[in-house]
Amino acid sequence: MTARLIIAVGLLSAALIAFQLVLMQLLSIVQWHHFAYMVISVALLGFGASGTFLALTREWIVKRAESAIPLLMMLCGAAIAGVVAISQSESVRFDSYLLFVERGQIGRLLLTYFVFFLPFFFGALAIGIVFIRNVDQIGKFYASNLLGSGLGGLLAVVLLWMFALQKLPAVLGLLPVLSGLLIVSAQNRRVTLVVGAAALALSASLFFSPSQLQLSDYKSLKRTLNLPDAEIVFERSSPYGLVQIVSSPALRYAPGLSLAYRGPLANRDVVFNNADWFGPVFVAQRHDTTQVLRYMSFALPYAMQQRDRVLILQAKTGMFVAQALEQHASEIVAVEAHDVVVSALKRELASSTDSPFFHPDVSVHTVDPRTFLQSDTARYDLIVLPTLDAFGGTSGVYALQEQYLLTKQAFREMWGKLSATGVLAISSWMDYPVRNPLRALATLVETLEDEGVAQPHQHLAAVRSWGMITFAMKRSPFSEQDVQNIREYCTLMMFDPVLLPAMAGSERNRFNILQDTSFFSLVDGIVSDKRKAIYSDYGFNLTPPTDDRPYFSQFLKWKTLPRMRELFGEHAFPFLELGSLIIAVTLVQIVIVAVLLILLPLLKKKMIDAGRWRVVLLFGGLGLGYMFVEMVLIQRFVLFLGHPIYATAAVIGAMLVCSGMGSWVSSRLPPSSLKTIGLIVALSILVYAVSITPILHSFMSLPLWLKFVLTFLLIAPPAFVMGIPFPLGLRLVSQHESVVPWAWGINGCMSVIAAPLAILLAVEFGFSVVMISAAACYILVFAAVKLPQFS
Amino acid sequence: MRMLVAFLVAVLLLSDPFEAAREKMVRTQIAARDVADSATLRAMRTVQRHLFVPETRRDAAYDDRPLPIGYGQTISQPYIVAYMTELVKPRRGHRVLEIGTGSGYQAAVLAEIVDSVFTIEIITELAKPAADLLKNLNYNNVVVKNADGYYGWKEKGPFDAIVVTAAAEHIPPPLVEQLKEGGKMIIPVGTPFFVQTLTLVEKKGKEVSTKSLIPVRFVPLTRGQ
Repeated sequence: MTARLIIAVGLLSAALIAFQLVLMQLLSIVQWHHFAYMVISVALLGFGASGTFLALTREWIVKRAESAIPLLMMLCGAAIAGVVAISQSESVRFDSYLLFVERGQIGRLLLTYFVFFLPFFFGALAIGIVFIRNVDQIGKFYASNLLGSGLGGLLAVVLLWMFALQKLPAVLGLLPVLSGLLIVSAQNRRVTLVVGAAALALSASLFFSPSQLQLSDYKSLKRTLNLPDAEIVFERSSPYGLVQIVSSPALRYAPGLSLAYRGPLANRDVVFNNADWFGPVFVAQRHDTTQVLRYMSFALPYAMQQRDRVLILQAKTGMFVAQALEQHASEIVAVEAHDVVVSALKRELASSTDSPFFHPDVSVHTVDPRTFLQSDTARYDLIVLPTLDAFGGTSGVYALQEQYLLTKQAFREMWGKLSATGVLAISSWMDYPVRNPLRALATLVETLEDEGVAQPHQHLAAVRSWGMITFAMKRSPFSEQDVQNIREYCTLMMFDPVLLPAMAGSERNRFNILQDTSFFSLVDGIVSDKRKAIYSDYGFNLTPPTDDRPYFSQFLKWKTLPRMRELFGEHAFPFLELGSLIIAVTLVQIVIVAVLLILLPLLKKKMIDAGRWRVVLLFGGLGLGYMFVEMVLIQRFVLFLGHPIYATAAVIGAMLVCSGMGSWVSSRLPPSSLKTIGLIVALSILVYAVSITPILHSFMSLPLWLKFVLTFLLIAPPAFVMGIPFPLGLRLVSQHESVVPWAWGINGCMSVIAAPLAILLAVEFGFSVVMISAAACYILVFAAVKLPQFS
Repeated sequence: MRMLVAFLVAVLLLSDPFEAAREKMVRTQIAARDVADSATLRAMRTVQRHLFVPETRRDAAYDDRPLPIGYGQTISQPYIVAYMTELVKPRRGHRVLEIGTGSGYQAAVLAEIVDSVFTIEIITELAKPAADLLKNLNYNNVVVKNADGYYGWKEKGPFDAIVVTAAAEHIPPPLVEQLKEGGKMIIPVGTPFFVQTLTLVEKKGKEVSTKSLIPVRFVPLTRGQ
């Protein structure tokens, strides 16, 4: 029975983690990723709540464990299969954009929280009861829990390739039912089997007719589908996201088009990823449709001189590739990590799209741009970066997204790849209040300074249309001929120069007049030695992002929040920096709930004992520390492995599997060794904090399969040791039986708090600080064990 | 007695329960923010905004914010409607083109001032109810067309003013073509609930210039201010 129970715990753990990843993907489609994250965080409180529930009902539930464990597994299976369908129903569904407009949406959001809470609560409760009943063998069961969770991450990735996303909850719902069947007992067999049969029936029905995903009205895909005759002509689900291509005669794309253009504009199909705009499908070698690309400010580098060798980073659907072809570049290298989009354009849609990706002068690399920069040795006359922001702004929804291509380190790598007269070009929408263009400029200027350029303004040019600005950073100083060519280009296109060596202020506001001319003062200030003062005084954060803090789109300064609210009003301000606010709100509400869950058992008379605070310290420290390390490693390995999906699967998989092994070994160690283990973990985290980046940097050019091997080898040692403390801790406190479920709850709660907290810390202070905090958590573990109550 | 009751009922039915709210909206949200054009203020006082928002949101019709009207579209904040109207300087005798009818509110405001308003809505589910509502409210100088506004309305042009309420990431060349010499086109740029900036396009001979404006209640975010 023990062996079957160990397998059942592993299967259930795998289902819970896989479902979590699938849910994130689903919610990223119907809402936005930060809301998906918020809901998942709250849902994971199911783990914490299960600990509290166990602490309060331990005696009653342990007596009924034989029947409760399989029954809870069956309920978990049914909930996994059904909650997505419930959340999409008319009476439950919420719209994140309306949260700040209609109070009724808050109730719907809370209802959504509760619905997603259920599968995690049932599953964690089953695991918790198993732990309580088997404290003497906790190492094996905890190992099974970790191994199952690790494999669950990998399972989610595999399933995302195999099935349509909407069908996955039904598929994953089978695993807990199977684990329940493995251990079904004679006690209450009939009830358990009836619930199991109902769960299976639900899974089957939702697999064959999955619920339709109801997109927010404000998702770009939903709005596009409202256009006349709009239809989805291609759809494919994968770990990269749900790719859909929409066709409509009303779709045209010409960002910031010059008002001098009077020609026709071709219709374009548009690619969406997770219902968000990804890019228009441009056609190669058709002069009538690509000539328009000359009339946008991002043609600036070509206005100076001919560009033969062009590198397009994050090429998306190939608009800049089409432009380079149109400008007669002889060798074009396009780098786009989204394998599914590239392969669709090059294969399935090849007959209808004539994508520039398979023009003979173009070579396409489906790898992360930073990985490419590390391994490529060529020099380029032009390097083009993707356009920043979006028309009308993005409400700050990308504030929490790591953008490694827009850091100072990335810009320096690009600088090293420019030919003698080569140019790095980056365009941005002119947002208001202005943020994106200023941060882009600040990053360019600091890159030049870091490269030892004495007069950065001699290497920078910028031109502006009515809605867009393009910066060009040249390897050598701009020549007089360059400057003259740019001026002529501006006159022809009715654009205004913003930055040119030796320019008159009156040139800047001729065709596209800015009523608020402070933009020009800010630009001049950033190029001059007043830059630091502007960083400090401006209402938004403009400091250039680094690999340690790669959040280009995070502009919010907490200290200026009251002033921003005053300026923009209560109703409007949330839409200015939504992402940052959401993560803060998430953290606050999770902390409140988590504190309640931890304090609730304390309020019980028996639990009021000074020694219990050591339990909080010990298991809270373990929960926070482990998750901090996991989250930082995922971010670090995104850069190394070239895709978030690979990084997430590899890091979670390697960490949990190796920690599971550590947990297994822990049964051979005495509980008193926890002190030493805590110190070893803290020390190894500190060593990794300083050494992991240079190590990864030196192996960036390895082939992908070798990188995966190296990832496992690098993660294995600390992850193995990090798997030991939790089961040791449980054995240490198992003399007080009532403490075990409580410890499980605290650990779960702190793990959940750790997720948004780690992101907030990373955004504000950088990944290094998160790693140091993780080490501090394990020091707390050491301190907690040193206390006399545990002696 | 029966006659008196009937009269009182009729008075109640005909009275506008939102009149006070509308007056307050004009006074505190619009005039207080320096919209001073008398024709615009009169139009904002006259048009019953609550009829242009979904019934479930009527209580918020005169609030100082945009509201959702379905299909991912919004009815703009009253101040923005007034500010955009004032910027194109509408007068009697003008022909105005509106791109993005939505619920028809901006068209109704313009129709209170100018001779004819031509408005185009691409979403069928919005175009028809808006046309019906405007007709029921006797806006006989408004013509609604369910079509792609990208091409404007060549046969009805050229226009003294063009108001684009459903902006795209580029200004369609046909709209620039259909703007009269000296005419004005206004385009809002922003997220659905946060109109950040307005762009005014002016045509003078071969040159087309733009002016990026800021709503007057915002102050530049510069040092020492």
